[in-house]
This record gives sequence, structure tokens and C-alpha cells, in this order.
Amino acid sequence: MPADFLDRYSFGNTICHRCPASLKVLLTVGVIAGCALIPVSYWPAQGCLACLVFAGLSLAEIPLAYLIRRLVLFLPLVLMTAVAVPLARGFAGGWETAAAVVIRSMVAFLAALWLVSTTPFDRLLAAMCRLGMPRLFAGLLAFTYRYVYVLFDELARMKTAQRARTFQPQSAWRTWAGTTHLVGMLLIRALDRAERIHGAMVSRGWRGKMHDLD
Amino acid sequence: MSHAPAHILKVDHLSYRYPTGQIALCDVNFVVGVNEIVGLVGPNGAGKTTLLLHLNGLLMGTRVANSAGVLGSTFAEHAQSLAANGGEREQRAPVEVLGMPVTPENFPEIRRNVGVMFQDPDDQLFCPTVRDDVAFGPLNLEFPRDEVLRRVAESLAAVGLAGFEDRRPHELSFGEKRRVCLAGVLACEPSLLALDEPSSNLDPRSRRGLIEILKNCEAAQIIASHDLELVAELCSRVFVLDQGRVQANGPTREILGNEPLMARHGLEVPLSIQYGLEIGKGAR
Amino acid sequence: MHIADGILSNEVCLGAGVIAAGAIGLSLRKLNDTVSLRTIPLTGMMAAVIFAAQMVKFPLLLAPAYGHLLGGVLAAIVVGPWAGCVAMALVLFLQMALFADGGWLAYGANALNMGIVGSLGGHAIYSLISRRFAGPRGTIAGAVIAAWLSVVAGSALFCVEFTLSHHGAEFDIPRLFAVMTTFHSLIGVGEALITGGVVSYLLAVRPDLIDAPHQLPGAAAGLGRVVWTGAVAALAVAAFLAPFASEGADGLEQTADDLKFAALEKERPAPVSDYEAPIPGVDVSTGAWHKVSVALAGVFGTSAVLGIAFVLGRIARSKLVLREVEATHAG
Repeated sequence: MPADFLDRYSFGNTICHRCPASLKVLLTVGVIAGCALIPVSYWPAQGCLACLVFAGLSLAEIPLAYLIRRLVLFLPLVLMTAVAVPLARGFAGGWETAAAVVIRSMVAFLAALWLVSTTPFDRLLAAMCRLGMPRLFAGLLAFTYRYVYVLFDELARMKTAQRARTFQPQSAWRTWAGTTHLVGMLLIRALDRAERIHGAMVSRGWRGKMHDLD
Repeated sequence: MSHAPAHILKVDHLSYRYPTGQIALCDVNFVVGVNEIVGLVGPNGAGKTTLLLHLNGLLMGTRVANSAGVLGSTFAEHAQSLAANGGEREQRAPVEVLGMPVTPENFPEIRRNVGVMFQDPDDQLFCPTVRDDVAFGPLNLEFPRDEVLRRVAESLAAVGLAGFEDRRPHELSFGEKRRVCLAGVLACEPSLLALDEPSSNLDPRSRRGLIEILKNCEAAQIIASHDLELVAELCSRVFVLDQGRVQANGPTREILGNEPLMARHGLEVPLSIQYGLEIGKGAR
Repeated sequence: MHIADGILSNEVCLGAGVIAAGAIGLSLRKLNDTVSLRTIPLTGMMAAVIFAAQMVKFPLLLAPAYGHLLGGVLAAIVVGPWAGCVAMALVLFLQMALFADGGWLAYGANALNMGIVGSLGGHAIYSLISRRFAGPRGTIAGAVIAAWLSVVAGSALFCVEFTLSHHGAEFDIPRLFAVMTTFHSLIGVGEALITGGVVSYLLAVRPDLIDAPHQLPGAAAGLGRVVWTGAVAALAVAAFLAPFASEGADGLEQTADDLKFAALEKERPAPVSDYEAPIPGVDVSTGAWHKVSVALAGVFGTSAVLGIAFVLGRIARSKLVLREVEATHAG
């Protein structure tokens, strides 16, 4: 598993990357909330927000291809949700609400994408802590983030091992059972590992309190 | 040097059964002196890791004077005695570190003095950055920030990874990960290092680097390893553990050079000893 | 199923956020108060497992399509409800902060629909059932039913939130509700299958990992009781769904066709994430069949879930018996 598959763009060195993380969090949440507050009939205001987000994205040098790929996955689902409103009124109205949903969620999605692709995860966590996230929750997030990588590697190895022993296409039942075993085995190994990690933490004097360097 | 009056670690009639009832350690006795580097060798499943986990109280064995006590008792009896040992039964703890019995009251002081390095570095690097991870021990000891940062910088320099503070564990190579683990242990400035398979899965260069680091380390060390060349090079004394018992104990060359003994316990005489090469016998 | 920003109104996001923060805060406090320190690394690891397992594609037995695990019930069964709730909150936060899956303002709603309902609510149902029926059969039945109900309940909650957000728009709320819950009763079958499969694997390999609630004295696994409870549950679900079916709605056949189509559409794997949304698949026509169709869907979902629970229970029991036989031979 490539080491950067979770956060490919967050280690750049543009002005957006250098900006303090807590400022970025506040800015992003502000844009998202503002976007939801402004009625769609004030479209110039919405447009300004969208321009701001696009400017941020281009300043952060995030490749357009990546943005388009993410939007292609994102938009159909939002469109379906949006269409539910006019549909529920027999296509006799509600288009305004639908448009609002699409525009708002797109701007918000791009803003969130800007935030997460300009901020390394540990800085984001430190910023969230400063903004009031509980220490324990932040510590757990850091822990989970760390072990997602380890588990992905483990999962990949287990899949390879399973493929190496599968010689022909299997029935749906067998494939399903195999996948269940894969997840079950991952769970067992991970929980055993958690036990060993607990030993390692206690060995280094841990008594249940999450300390922080800052 | 083995006549030094004070010893750092004393293991006295230590026995331990797994919760499943299987015997893991049986009447284990040994001491480790100040500044001594001791090797712990034996086949897979001999109980090496289990023994190391007793040194800082991660596992709590019982003190059984004769082996019949462990082997003869039923599981229920033993479980009872284990439970009693954690409770109020008057019994001297089987493991002593710096003269302190390893009991829950002494855990903070003991864990500060005994640094354990585990086999899988991923089990030990649980923080998002190298700095956080090395700082984990000192922070738990509640040192002021400056002292913590000093210790982080010093121990990273000691393992040759100065400047790695902002790296993230999953970006590191296996050898680097293991050195960060070692730095994390060294940052607590322990007087005894317990190392479980420190050289496993390392490429020759990383292994050499690790040996040099351990040689320059001031703490007493107990090294459990299958890498007998490393043991021959670092340790002044070795004991052989098999089936939960100490089968032999003595100077490194004597034990590792004893071919019948080695063969009996699934080991081999290291080539350096076989051919009389002087790689650096007994670092101290 | 991640709700993006802009779909719910700020007020609803705030309300859901407050509820979610309360539940997560309470769970964190419970976690901090536990006697054993190991719960904390265990919780973080459970979150990492769910995160990784959500990316494993499961072939669905009933359809040529893939589904994936949500995991709330599974987490709660393995590490307990409070730790499970925290684990799900962690997973959802990571998906939001790494992939921008699910909105920042909608985090509370997402945590509520997928995490808190699945872990706290799911565990309540699970322990209710597995207490009543001893042995692996009870555990699996509890897991399967709780997994299914948690998905349906999550979708129902989304409907409530969506409705509250757009109450000015005057659209047909009961119909949205009916379509969403009916559709998710199918999605829920996938979740039930996966959760049940993993739990029965754990029961066969490492039964010590399952956080089994204390069984009531005299609880015994009886097929009759399972069927009886199942029938009651099916009726209850049908009764729960029926009032939401609107008066002037569509025909039974159309619903069935559309749902089949929608299910195929939806279950296709998305590379990074998936989003479930109300399916605009139901045509406008008249007839009083809607109530019946929704009730039937409820009954169908419940009986499918019961069937899964029964089959998995049998398999697990035969495996356990086999292991006991082997153990006696070995000993």
C-alpha cells in the first residue's frame, strides 16, 4: 500500500499548506455554513463563495483531474437526493430546493476537499484540539489513523494469501464465506495486536492519560 | 565484573502458566548485574517473550520454590494461587528490579527503569509522528516540555535518526521503525533494557547499526534472540531457555560453543565461534 | 450513506450535532471510567478495523452485486456499546477528515444515523435477543436482527432530518419515508448477512472476543421461540412502517420493479465511498396498495433476516459441536 494513499496532497508547500490549521478549519466551516445560510436566490453571493473555494483549490495546486474524479463520484448521489424534492411533488415544483441542495453541497464538498488536502492529519487534529475537541477523542483518532495503514497492509497480505490458494472461480456462497473469514481474521489479528500495543503503552509508563507535546 | 555487589535484575523461582493451563515458565532463576549484557537463547516457544514480559509486570508469575509445585498442581489450584498472588497472600514477588519487587505499587518506578522493546515495531509505534512516539514515555513521566524535547532529540541522535522528528511511522523502513522504537525506550533513560528479537527482519546494514547502538548503550541489557552471532558479539553471558526452564547458564563462548547442548535445544554453534573468529567477544 | 453538507439545513445539523456530541461524550466518559486501560487501544483498533473492513467488497448472495459493511453493530458486539459508539464516531470522523466523505456540518447527523444508532441502539437489540436465547444461536440471531434494524432505523432518521430541513418545500413526506425505509430494508439484509457472517466466524474461531451479555436464567435455544419472536418482530415492523405509507400512492408491482432496479444500481461498488440517498424510483400513480406494499416489504425483510439468523446459527452450532468432539478426542 503506498504510504500516501490517505492524504496524497496534504504535504505540499503552498501558501494554503503553510496557513495555520485552526484558521483553515474555521474558514472552511464558515464557508460551508454560509453557503447553507444564503438563499439560492442570492446567487451572486453563492457565486462569490464558489469563487473563493476555487481560488483556494488552485492556490493549493491540487490537480484538476483529481477534483474532477472526486466530483464525478460525488455528484450523482447528490443529484439523486436533490431530485427527490421535485419528484415528491410530482415535478410540479421544488426545483429551487433541488438546485439549492446541489449548489450548496458541491461548494461545501469542494471546501472540505480543500481543507483536507492542504492539512496533514496530525496538524488537523492539533487544530481541532485547540478548537475544543476532547483530548481522548483526538488521541484515539491519531491512534486509529496510525493503524489504518498497518491494517491495510495486513488486509492486502491476507488477500494475496487467499488468492494464492484459490484455484478456480468459486460459487457465490464460497466467495462470500471467504470474504467473511477475511474480515473476521483481520478483526482477530487486530484485536490481538491491540493487546500487544496496550502492553507496549503500559511499558512506557502509560496510566490512561493522553498527554500532548503542545 | 560479574562480582559487582548490586544486581539490577533478580529473577527468583519464577513460574508462570498461561490462562489455558499450559506451563510457560518453570522455576526460572537468574540475575543481571549492573552494566551487564545477557543473552537469552532458545527455540521458538521456549518462553523467551513470556519471560521478558515479566520483567516490568506485564505478566505476573508466581514464586514457586520447587518445580513440583507447578508441575504437580492442577490448573484450578494454580489459578487460585495466581489469584491469591495478585491479592493479599504474603509472598515475595519472583522478580526484583533494583531491589524493588515487581508488584503493582512499584509499577511506575519499575516501568521507568525497565525499557522493553517488542518484536513487532508496529506494536510499539502507536503515535502519528516520530516525535510524539519518542516523547510518549517522558510525557507519561510528566517531565516539563523542555526536558521532554531534550530527551527526544538525544535519544533520536543516539539511534542515528536525528532530524526524523516530523516523519510518520508508516513512511519509515523496517530498520528505521525499530530504531525509533529503541529511541522511544531510551528516552525514559532505563537502567535495564529488555530486547525481544532486536535484529529480526533487519537487513545486514541495519543489523550492524543496531549492534553498534546497543554496544554504546550504558544500560544493562537482556537480549532474547535467535541471532546467535549478535548474542556472541554483544553478550558476556548467556542462558538457554527451553520448555520454560533455564537449561544452561554461563559465559557466552562456553555455552554457545557447546555443540551437544546447542543441538539438544534446537540451536547451532555460531560460525564465529566454530571457526574461532574474534568478532568482538563480550563487548564489556 | 454519508450525508454531504448542503443537504440538511444548519438548524438540523446543529440539533443532530448536539445529540451526537452528547452521546459520544457520554461514551467517552464511560470509556475513561472503565477499569481496564486496554479498552482505549482496543477502541482505536476497532475503529481501524471497521475503516479497513468497509473497503472490503462483499459479494451479495441474493444479487450479482457488491455491498459493504457499515459495522456499528459489529463494533458494539465485539467491544461493547460505549466503545463501539466511540469507534464508529472515529471512523466517520476519519472518513470526513481524510476523504471529505460526509460533510463537516453534517457530521453530527452522520454520527447519529450510522454510528450511534448502530452501536448503542444495535447493541440494545442484540443484548435483548441474545439474552433470551442462550448459545451461539442467540448471539447470531441478535447480531443479524440488530444489524438489519440499525440500517432501517438509520434511514428512518435520515428521513426525519431531511423532512425537518425542508419543511417549507411541502413535498410528500410519507412517500419519501416509505421509499427510504423500504429500500433500506433491502440494504439492511446485506448488512445483516455480513455482520452475521463475521460474528459466526468469530464464534467458531475466537468465542472469547464476543462481548456476550449475561444470559437470563433458564434461557434456552428453541426453534419455536425463535420463530415466534420472529413473527412478532415482523408484525411489529410492518405495523411500524404501514402508517407512513401514504394514501394516494403507487402500485405494488411498480414498487417491486423499481426497487429491484434501484437495488442493482445502488449496490455497484464505488471506489472510495458510497452514498445512499432517497431513491427517486417510485412512479406516481394511484391506488391504496402502498400500505400493503410497505408492510409486505417489512415482512419480507424481517423474514429474510430471520432466515439468515437461523441458517448461520445452525452452521455455527454444528461447527461448535465439531470442535467439542475434536476436543474430547484430543483430550
